[in-house]
Amino acid sequence: MGNDRRVGIIGVGCSKFGIRDELTVQELAFEAVKEAIEDARITREDIELSVAGTAGTRSYELMPAVPINEYCGFAGKGPIRVEAACATGSAAVYTAYASVKAGIADIAIAIGFEKMNEVDTPTSLAVGGRSGSYLWEFHQYGTTFPGYYAMHASAHMARYGTTDKQLALVAVKNHRNAAKNPKAQFQKEISLEKAVSSRYVAYPLRLFDCSAITDGSSAAVIASEEKIKELGLKDKAVWVEGVGYSSDTANMPKRVDYAGLKATVEASRMAYEMAGIEDPVKDLDVVALHDCFTIAEIMAYEDLGFCRKGEGGKFIENGDSDFGGKIPVNTFGGLKAKGHPLGATGVAMFYEIVKQLRGEAKDLQVDLKTYKGLTHNIGGTGHFGWVFILGV
Amino acid sequence: MAEEKFKMESRTFVLKHELPVSRVEKYWKGLEEGKIYGTTCKSCGAKFSPPQADCSYCYSSNMEWVEIGGEGEIECFTQLYSFPQGFDFAEKPYIIAVARFGDFKVMGWFEGEELPEVGQKVKAETKQDASGVWKVYFTPA
Ligand SMILES: [Zn+2]
Repeated sequence: MGNDRRVGIIGVGCSKFGIRDELTVQELAFEAVKEAIEDARITREDIELSVAGTAGTRSYELMPAVPINEYCGFAGKGPIRVEAACATGSAAVYTAYASVKAGIADIAIAIGFEKMNEVDTPTSLAVGGRSGSYLWEFHQYGTTFPGYYAMHASAHMARYGTTDKQLALVAVKNHRNAAKNPKAQFQKEISLEKAVSSRYVAYPLRLFDCSAITDGSSAAVIASEEKIKELGLKDKAVWVEGVGYSSDTANMPKRVDYAGLKATVEASRMAYEMAGIEDPVKDLDVVALHDCFTIAEIMAYEDLGFCRKGEGGKFIENGDSDFGGKIPVNTFGGLKAKGHPLGATGVAMFYEIVKQLRGEAKDLQVDLKTYKGLTHNIGGTGHFGWVFILGV
Repeated sequence: MAEEKFKMESRTFVLKHELPVSRVEKYWKGLEEGKIYGTTCKSCGAKFSPPQADCSYCYSSNMEWVEIGGEGEIECFTQLYSFPQGFDFAEKPYIIAVARFGDFKVMGWFEGEELPEVGQKVKAETKQDASGVWKVYFTPA
């Protein structure tokens, strides 16, 4: 199946995450695109196709792909606008990757971006909640995304005895990492006491269990092996070695179980098979996974196969996901503390893993042994699931 | 404090949709009669809650309405302290739960003296909320 054409990432860029209310969405995207093009040591004219990913609705510009494409100097080169809720960035990278893999373009750019702070918090919560299943859930019950993950948390805690403290330890670790990431929204550590005593947003999830409302952008330049050789960038490329995707029902009552995400299990197994990963803990050096809420990181340890189902709480408690542990997870601060600008998030995971695999992660650098990393990006609560394996 | 940035306000944009629910009218009318309906596919037996007019498995549109009731069991829940736009009528944090009733699962608002528990037995009824929308409520069985 498919062809043997290798596809690699040659340039990455990421804006500063945070409340970026001084920028239009075009200006925000430009910040990441400029860095990615410069990082790849190419010019904007080299780009043959652009893919623009945003969940949208919270920004005044409702169909922003063309305005962004124009602003970044790519008019005529696409754009394709993609949307996969919080997994939009991965869908954008996939679209660029697939176009290059198919031989339609030799060099493409995936741009993920989100402006979330142009509306107030109740509006932002409603946009999120209405994006599950409006008619059957939001309309009647006023669901929100903290609420959806909280429902999963209630099931996980009841079945496996996962504790408030274990959830909070995820936040403490990710804030500790974000403190050293200049792109992060929250460059400060938090104490366990502060996290476990913060107010409830959606029981059993507290304020420090939740990612904030973040503006940000990220971009990745993707090229074929022939193009990479032609540009003389072979030593700089990070290769896409595995791709996996899946999804699940929009309606919560139509899910079989709530203590994990089937989309994570299925997407990861597909990516592991393509990349020849047998034991992710041994075969991977570093992981960027979808910790929009602390429970999401704990479920992902299990669903990605880092530990057995139900042992995710112990995994964080033992320091297995920290620097020096079994497998360093969210070394950049995660969505929890670096920030979660929906469309940008998935592309920003590529930014962070590419930096790690090139050995450019500075104070947050992991030890490289296998030179392989993983990105795991979820839309909704497993409404979309994407996993990529990258390697050099 | 950061210095105040120059900003402007957009023109107001009201988005209010018409809900095209004629093929699942029985569900919405049922709520007003205290009934909760799902659908079962007459061709392959697949069961749907919330109800569907078409079968996602065998593509038949030959569906039967089935009343959901009896004693349910909570599978997951949350209590929301931050309300989305449209739910500002809620006077206190509300509890959303998903409960299983035999072959069907149903979402509802839980009302009780204390927080529910996963595994707790509940019964379901239908009521209008303070904004006039009919929905399912769970109470301890
Ligand atoms: Zn059927």
